[in-house]
Amino acid sequence: MSAEAETPTVDEPIVPSPGSTGPSGSPGRRLPLGRLIAALLLVVLAAVPLFVAQFPTSMLARMLIFALLAVSLDLLVGITGLPSLGHAAYFGVGAYTAGLVAKHWTAAAPIPLVAAVVVAAFAAAATGWLAVRSHGVFFLMLTLAIGELIQQLSESWSDVTGGDNGLYGIPAVEVAGEPLVLVGYVYWYVLIFAVLGFAVIWAVSRSPFGAALRGIRDNEARMRSLGYSPFRYKLAGFVIAGAVAGLAGGLLAVQQQLVTPADLGFTTSALALLAVAVGGAGSLWGPAIGAALVVLIRDVYGPDLDGHGTLVLGIVFIVAVYSLRHGIAGLSTTQFRRGPGRQTEKADG
Amino acid sequence: MTQPVFSRRNALGLFGLAGLAATAGCGSSVGGGSSAGSSASGGGGAIKVGLVIPQDGVYTPLGVDMKNGWDLFLERHDGMLGGYEVETVIGDEGEGPDTGVPAIQGLIQRDNVDVLVGIVNSASALGAAEAVAAAKKVLVISNAGANAVTGDARNPYIWRASFNNAQAAFAMGEYLASQQPEGGVFLMAPDYAAGQETFVAFKASYEGGGGTIAGEALTPFGTTQDFQPFLSAIPGSGAGATFVFYSGGEAVSFVQQYAGFGLKDTVPLYGSGFLTEGSVLEAQGEAAVGIQTALHYSTEIDNPANTEFVEAYQEAYDVLPTCFAVQTWDAALVLDLALADAADLSGDAVSEALGGVGEISDSPRGAWTFDGQSPKHVEYLREVQEGDGGLINVVVEELGEYGQ
Amino acid sequence: MTEWFADNFISILNGLAIGSLLFILAVGLSLVFGMMDVLNLGHGALYLIGAYVGFQFTGGISSWGGFLTALAVAAAFGLVAGLILSVATEPLVGRGHLDQALLTLGVALVVAEVISIIFGDDVQNVVAPPGLNESIQVFGNTYPAYRLALIGVGAVLAIVVWLVIEKSSLGALIRASVSDREMVSSVGVDNRKVKAGVFAFGSMLAALAGVLGGPVYGARTGLDETVLLLALVVIVIGGLGSVRGALIGSLVIGQVESLGRANLPEFASFMLFGALAVVLIVRPRGLFGSKVGAP
Repeated sequence: MSAEAETPTVDEPIVPSPGSTGPSGSPGRRLPLGRLIAALLLVVLAAVPLFVAQFPTSMLARMLIFALLAVSLDLLVGITGLPSLGHAAYFGVGAYTAGLVAKHWTAAAPIPLVAAVVVAAFAAAATGWLAVRSHGVFFLMLTLAIGELIQQLSESWSDVTGGDNGLYGIPAVEVAGEPLVLVGYVYWYVLIFAVLGFAVIWAVSRSPFGAALRGIRDNEARMRSLGYSPFRYKLAGFVIAGAVAGLAGGLLAVQQQLVTPADLGFTTSALALLAVAVGGAGSLWGPAIGAALVVLIRDVYGPDLDGHGTLVLGIVFIVAVYSLRHGIAGLSTTQFRRGPGRQTEKADG
Repeated sequence: MTQPVFSRRNALGLFGLAGLAATAGCGSSVGGGSSAGSSASGGGGAIKVGLVIPQDGVYTPLGVDMKNGWDLFLERHDGMLGGYEVETVIGDEGEGPDTGVPAIQGLIQRDNVDVLVGIVNSASALGAAEAVAAAKKVLVISNAGANAVTGDARNPYIWRASFNNAQAAFAMGEYLASQQPEGGVFLMAPDYAAGQETFVAFKASYEGGGGTIAGEALTPFGTTQDFQPFLSAIPGSGAGATFVFYSGGEAVSFVQQYAGFGLKDTVPLYGSGFLTEGSVLEAQGEAAVGIQTALHYSTEIDNPANTEFVEAYQEAYDVLPTCFAVQTWDAALVLDLALADAADLSGDAVSEALGGVGEISDSPRGAWTFDGQSPKHVEYLREVQEGDGGLINVVVEELGEYGQ
Repeated sequence: MTEWFADNFISILNGLAIGSLLFILAVGLSLVFGMMDVLNLGHGALYLIGAYVGFQFTGGISSWGGFLTALAVAAAFGLVAGLILSVATEPLVGRGHLDQALLTLGVALVVAEVISIIFGDDVQNVVAPPGLNESIQVFGNTYPAYRLALIGVGAVLAIVVWLVIEKSSLGALIRASVSDREMVSSVGVDNRKVKAGVFAFGSMLAALAGVLGGPVYGARTGLDETVLLLALVVIVIGGLGSVRGALIGSLVIGQVESLGRANLPEFASFMLFGALAVVLIVRPRGLFGSKVGAP
């Protein structure tokens, strides 16, 4: 979780110069309040299974997984300016891959996860190669189409995926030959890899490569004139985001021991995109909280609301649009930021 | 342990994650100690049942019927099952396993229920199987009909008081094979697990009985509002009858369009009973008259248990019962029988007692038994006719008993 | 060739009927997006309102009075809802599509839930008015009369909308707003009024489509999402912001959903989004795309 809480305090100028050494060149200039919060949060999250009952622990694991999906999407939406409505496809590809590997080959950690990341990255490369050529709403619709087609494949290819019944009977993940059965251990497993995933996205967004993605988002023509190939950068961003979404999917297969076509459908993609919007696109940590909020409303409280969880979700979206100009992440700028002249970058892609 | 583990206001704040963790403080999830039921320690007297039904999405009407069936049984049995006072906790299954599985997990892990009942969607049932087995809780399914639930993916804790998808199709296949419609039968079903299972079962019995398939179409599930492109293949196929499996919204659209494109009068329509069951029948209106379906229940079955059930149900809810209500009534009925014999409320004891209930003689659907962990019961051939208060499924004949 | 045509005649006819309905549904979405850059994901909910208004006023009984009342009430609902949406999206101008999507999808979720609370989740039937509530013979094929009428209604509405947008002075203003908003406001026209007008008009058509589509699609939970996706595919395939694009998109998708499914049933599930993907890969801005829609 270090990735998410830290970003707002160390934002870099958005337009890079080609020779820039990147954001890592400026550590220690400010009190690392963000790092402190991140470390504290990590300790709290790590301690959760010791003090918290099974159900909230497994819900927290779901939140972490969905948060990782949202953060990987934020790399596309907020950093690169590519609003995808089909990102759950790579989440699902990863989930099915991990599930199939665990079921038919080995459940030994972390092999199913590695397979999930690799296959999702390939899927993202193959489809992204077509998708990143388009812009704006057309990108949105093309990714929607790709997502729907991949979901349809998961429904139709029932010999492999189990069709609508889903891929069930996925064995528990094994660490050193021992299956992880207790909810708390599964949670720790999810936490470790989720933090790893966050860290990857965070590092990418802070690297010179991430700065170039921001540059493309803000002014593609200018970046091209500076000698960048926007296509290659966007494709690379797309593949990284897809790979991390695949990691999240692999974790879903572990946590849920079930993968179904609904996991990669339009609803999941749309909720992930809305989690990014609610959280504040571009901040990485905001979307993670946005995703947790969505899971909280839909899966934790929804079942107690006589089926009106979606009503609450709708109201939250409406309220968020008007009250949070830059999403949840926008709140922190007034709370934590005292530094002169530093503003969050443009939060909406 | 019974009160909500965390409060809404805290957790909905900006620090939702931290708030959730801070207020959730009870127990631990690495000790593995909470698998004992909440009330089992009391030594009898009370049982906590988790009723998992859809309260949101396209299956909601089924959820209402299921809850009605459950409530009615308890109401007429002083709120008791097998001598235990029943506390019912409801979980919202939603449309699919993405919401259904967490709902089941919640009932097991948070509410500590002793027994689970319900579940419409087969994917949710299959997805929850691991969790149910790991927690050693009995789940009595009162709808989800995938063969795998009590077949390939069976485990000792999952029982079914409803049906399996193959039964009605298999029965209808045998019946149509005996009728020998000229030109064979055209098959249609939605392109998802239940539809595919229906195809397999129907072909097995119909082709096994010497019938020929004139043509078939699997229609995209959930996105087909217009069946014309598929219906247009039927006249050209020369089929003498059509057999379909549709339910819910698709059943309404299909039946109306089948009539609208003039097929109703030329090629008789047969189906699995869900085609004309419950509220969809009312919406189909006149277009449904004359359709013949196979199902394990009809309000018109003539036996004392059913007469009493239908009367009580109408009095309580002012509508006719459906098979979904009966299935959940029967889930309560088998639990009532089993719990009276069970040594305690542990999953193993309840499961063992369920295995020993023998014939369930006073079900509204007629007597049935467990074949494995799924019902063996009579399939009825029903025909939609105009009744006193609207359309009803009149029982034409019994097609025989079918099991797992 | 003639034999093929005879075999597929009903499918082609049916594609026209579905296309007509899609045009009425989608043209408003396209204009609103093209004009004001507002991506209204609440468009499907407007259709759903219309569908349930249709159910409310026909109540399973075939009558012209009920059907026409439903059309009038739905039109009124649509106009008001469009105005509200126009006002609601006003503060979001310049904040990107993501916030609009968040708002309009939030509204859509709320509307759909409220409808489900009022009407329950049973599938409801909307009956066509007398005379259209039966099937007729068309060149030896039985075909529902209502769908033939739908083709007529769609054609008339297409002509009306085309005349308004392409030939009237009001239409000239709207088209000018599509291509250059600043220019229009610089000559003293209040952009917000133009936007509200187009929003109200488009939303009215969507609600009308709900009533008109009732006898074909019925009224039920989840229809809003299905219809929204169809409308999005239509306007993107055709090209955003033009009447012609919406019309072509509707006709193409009508045939894809009808003729395509009938001839390649094994690929039926992949057809709609497959068509969208192919069009966008070959023509990244839709078949008749303008500059609209790119950032």
